[in-house]
Amino acid sequence: MRRMLAVGVLALVAAVAGACSGGGDEGEGRGETLRTVIDRGQLYCGVKQTQALFGLKTGDGDPVGFDIEFCKAIAAAVLGDAEAVRYVDVSDGTTRFELLADGGIDVLIRTTTITSSRDAGLSVDFTTPTFYTGQSFAVRAESPYLSTADMTDEPTICVQSGTTTEQNLADHFTELGLGYRPLGGTDQATREAFTSGRCDAWTADQSNLAAQLSGLPNADEFRILSELISKEPLGPGVRDYDSDWKDVVQWVVYGVIAAEEAGITSANVDAYAADPPNTTIARLLGVPFGGASVADHGFGQKGADAEYQIDPQFIQRVIRAVGNYGEIYEREIGDVIPRACTLNALANDDSVDCPAGTGGIMYALPYR
Amino acid sequence: MARLRFRAAEHSAVAAVFRRAGLLCLPAVLACAAAACSGGDPERPRGLEERLDRIEQLLAGAGADLEQEADAGKDRIAELEAELDRAERQIQQVLDASSALLELGVVDSTLRTVINRGRLLCGVKQTQPLFGKREADGSVAGFDIEFCKAIAAAVLGDADAVDYVDASHAPSRYKLLADGKIDVLIRTTAITASRDRELGVDFAQPTFYAGQGFAVRRDSGIAQLRDLEGKVICVTLGAQEWNLEYHFGNLRLFWRKLALSGSAGASGPSPVWDLFFKGLCDALTADVSDLASWISVRDDADDYTVLREVISREPFAPGVRDYDSEWKDVVNWVVRGLIAAEEMGITSGNVDALAGSPPNWGAARLLAVWLGGAEVAPLVKLDSVDAQFIQRAIRAVGNYGEIYDRTIGGVIPRACTLNALWNEDKRGCPPGTGGILYAPTYR
Repeated sequence: MRRMLAVGVLALVAAVAGACSGGGDEGEGRGETLRTVIDRGQLYCGVKQTQALFGLKTGDGDPVGFDIEFCKAIAAAVLGDAEAVRYVDVSDGTTRFELLADGGIDVLIRTTTITSSRDAGLSVDFTTPTFYTGQSFAVRAESPYLSTADMTDEPTICVQSGTTTEQNLADHFTELGLGYRPLGGTDQATREAFTSGRCDAWTADQSNLAAQLSGLPNADEFRILSELISKEPLGPGVRDYDSDWKDVVQWVVYGVIAAEEAGITSANVDAYAADPPNTTIARLLGVPFGGASVADHGFGQKGADAEYQIDPQFIQRVIRAVGNYGEIYEREIGDVIPRACTLNALANDDSVDCPAGTGGIMYALPYR
Repeated sequence: MARLRFRAAEHSAVAAVFRRAGLLCLPAVLACAAAACSGGDPERPRGLEERLDRIEQLLAGAGADLEQEADAGKDRIAELEAELDRAERQIQQVLDASSALLELGVVDSTLRTVINRGRLLCGVKQTQPLFGKREADGSVAGFDIEFCKAIAAAVLGDADAVDYVDASHAPSRYKLLADGKIDVLIRTTAITASRDRELGVDFAQPTFYAGQGFAVRRDSGIAQLRDLEGKVICVTLGAQEWNLEYHFGNLRLFWRKLALSGSAGASGPSPVWDLFFKGLCDALTADVSDLASWISVRDDADDYTVLREVISREPFAPGVRDYDSEWKDVVNWVVRGLIAAEEMGITSGNVDALAGSPPNWGAARLLAVWLGGAEVAPLVKLDSVDAQFIQRAIRAVGNYGEIYDRTIGGVIPRACTLNALWNEDKRGCPPGTGGILYAPTYR
C-alpha cells in the first residue's frame, strides 16, 4: 500500500517535471486527458438529456441527439469504439463547468454557447463550433410576420424573464425603432403562453424553439423565423491547459466537416480509403496516395508514448461510426431545421440562392 | 486536487519564487509546480526535485536490496517512507500554493510576463509588403503588425509597446515561440493540423483566410474563376501548378499554362511574375497574400486586382504556445473583439462616443461600460487585464474592417471573399464564395 503510494507520488513528480522540462521532450507528461481516456477505455461525455434534437434521454437507453453524435465520434477516434462512452448528465447547466474542471467529464457537449466570459473566466477551452444558432422567433403558422421588421403593430412577445434573451429582444426592437409588449415568465411558462395564444411571438434560441415545438402534437400550427438576432455558437468544451486533448477534439470536429466538403460519407469511406482520389482525401483518411507514404497530418503514433497517441486513420473510424457533418445534421436536426442557407451549411455551398445576410460558414481548417 | 485556502503569509514569497523562475511553462497547476522545481530557484523547489530524484534512485535500489536482504530492505523502506512523507508534504505545499496563486491570477504566465516586461514581443515577417514589412526608416508596417498593436493596446494600454522580432525565417518561427523569444507569432502563418498538433503551438481565430488565388488586370473583364476559361495562366512550377490543374480539372475549365520554376514570397515574386506583368498571360496564380504584397509595391498597382475565389486553404492566425490557455484567451478575444466591433459598427472614430453612451447591450458588453445606469453583466474577465481592453484596441487600430481596408483592401477587394463578415449580402457573389468571419459571443 505504502509502496504504491510512493510510486504514485513519484509518478506525479515525474509528470510534473516532464511538464516543464522544455527542450526536446515536447509533449512528455502532457495530454493528461488523452491518457486518462485511453487508460480508462471509455470517454466521459457531459451531455444534456432533456433537449430534443440535441441530447434527449427517453427510457433506459443512452441519450440521443446531435451532441451525442459528437461524443460517439470522439470515442470512435480515440478508442476505436463509438459505444465506449459514458454519458454524464449535465442537463442542469449550473454544474457543467465545475464537472469539467474537476475531471468528472472529459468533454462537455451540451448546447453550450462559446462566450468570452466562459472562455476567459472559467477553466474551459472551446473547439470550433459544431452548431451555430441564435435567438429567433416562433409565430403561428398563419401569422403575417416573416421577419421582425414586419412586427410593426406592437406585438406581444413571450420571453423568458431575467435572461440575455430579454436584453437581446430589447436591443433589437430599439434598433428597429419598433415597440412591443413583453410577456415574461419561465421557459416553460413562456412556451405555454405562446401555444395557448396569449402572445403573438415567442423568442428564444432557434434550436430551442425548434426542439420544443417539434415535440408538440400540433407542431404544424407554428413556424419559426429564419432570422437570428443574436449569436449563439455552440461548441464542445475541454479543460483549459490541455492542448493535446483539445487538438484531438478540435480535429475530430474539423474532420467531419472536411469529410463532407470532400464528399466522403459513411457509405463510401471504405472505398475512398482503399483508393483515394487525391492527396487531400488521402491525408484526411491517413492512407498512402499514388505509391507515396502516408501523408502526414500531425496525428500518428510516434515516439516513446505511442500507445497514448492516436493512429493516423482516426477520421476513417469517425466517418464509419457517425458519418460526415452533413449526415449527422440531416439525421438529427435536418427535418426540423432545414440546413440550407443557415450558418451551418458549408461555406462553399452554392446549391441554393440564399436571402441577404444568410448562408453557410462551416469551413474546416486544412488537414495537412 | 484539493484547493486549500491560500495562506497570505506565503503569498508573496511563493509568488516571488514563481516570478524568479521565469516560467515559460504556464499556470497549469502541475506545470507551475514543475517550473518551480526546475526553474532555477535556489531553495525549496530545486532541493525538492533533487531529493525526489534521490528517493527514486534509493527506492529502486531498495527494491533490489529487498530480494537479497529482506530485513535491511524493510528498514530502508521505512526510512524512505519517512522521507517520502516529508517530500509529500512539501509537494502538497507547492501544489496548494500554485493552485491558490492560479486562483488569484498572480502566477507567472505569458500574460504576466508581458505585463511585467511592459512590452509585447511580437514575432512578425519583415519582408512581406502589406502584411509585415520593415521600412527603410526601421518601422514595420502591415496587416499582421496591426494585430500586434491591438494586443499591446489591450494588455499594456500602449499600441507602441511592441518589440517586433524578426520571424521572417519560416523554419525557425516556432522555435522562437517555444524558446520564449516571442509572446505571439503573427506572420502569415496558416493553421494546419500538423502544426497545431506537433509544433507546440496553439492558434487563435484566423485573422485572414488566404489561399491560392488569381491576379488579373482590372480592365481584363475577368471577374471570377469561370471567366478564366481558355485564358493563359502564369504559374510557378510545383505545388501551385498541380493544385491548379486539379481544381480546373474538377471544374472542367480549359486553360493554357505558362509556367516557370522559382519560388515566390520570401524576398519577392518568382520569375513567372514578370511574364504576367509584361502582359504575356491573362492571370497569375499564387497565394492571395503574395499577390497582394507584390502588386502593392508596383507603381501601376491600381491596374491589377485579385479575384475573390481561392482554390486552397491557408487560414492565417496568430500562434501562441500550447498549454497557455490564459494568454490564448487574451489573443483570441482581441481578434474576436475587432471583428465584433465591425459587426456592431464601432470604429476608431466613434468608439469614444459609443463608450460614453452605448446604443445597446451588445455594444455595452463589448466596450465594458454601463448601460442606462445598469451594470453590464457578465463582463469578460481576463486576469490582470481590465475589462475595457477592447475599447483600447479599437481606439488604437480600429475594427477589423478598418484594419483590412487600410492595409490589404487596396489590392484585394473584400466583398465576397472569405474575409468579409458572415452576414454580408452574398447575393451577387461568385458561386461558393462569401464572408465567414464570425466572432463568438462577447458576453
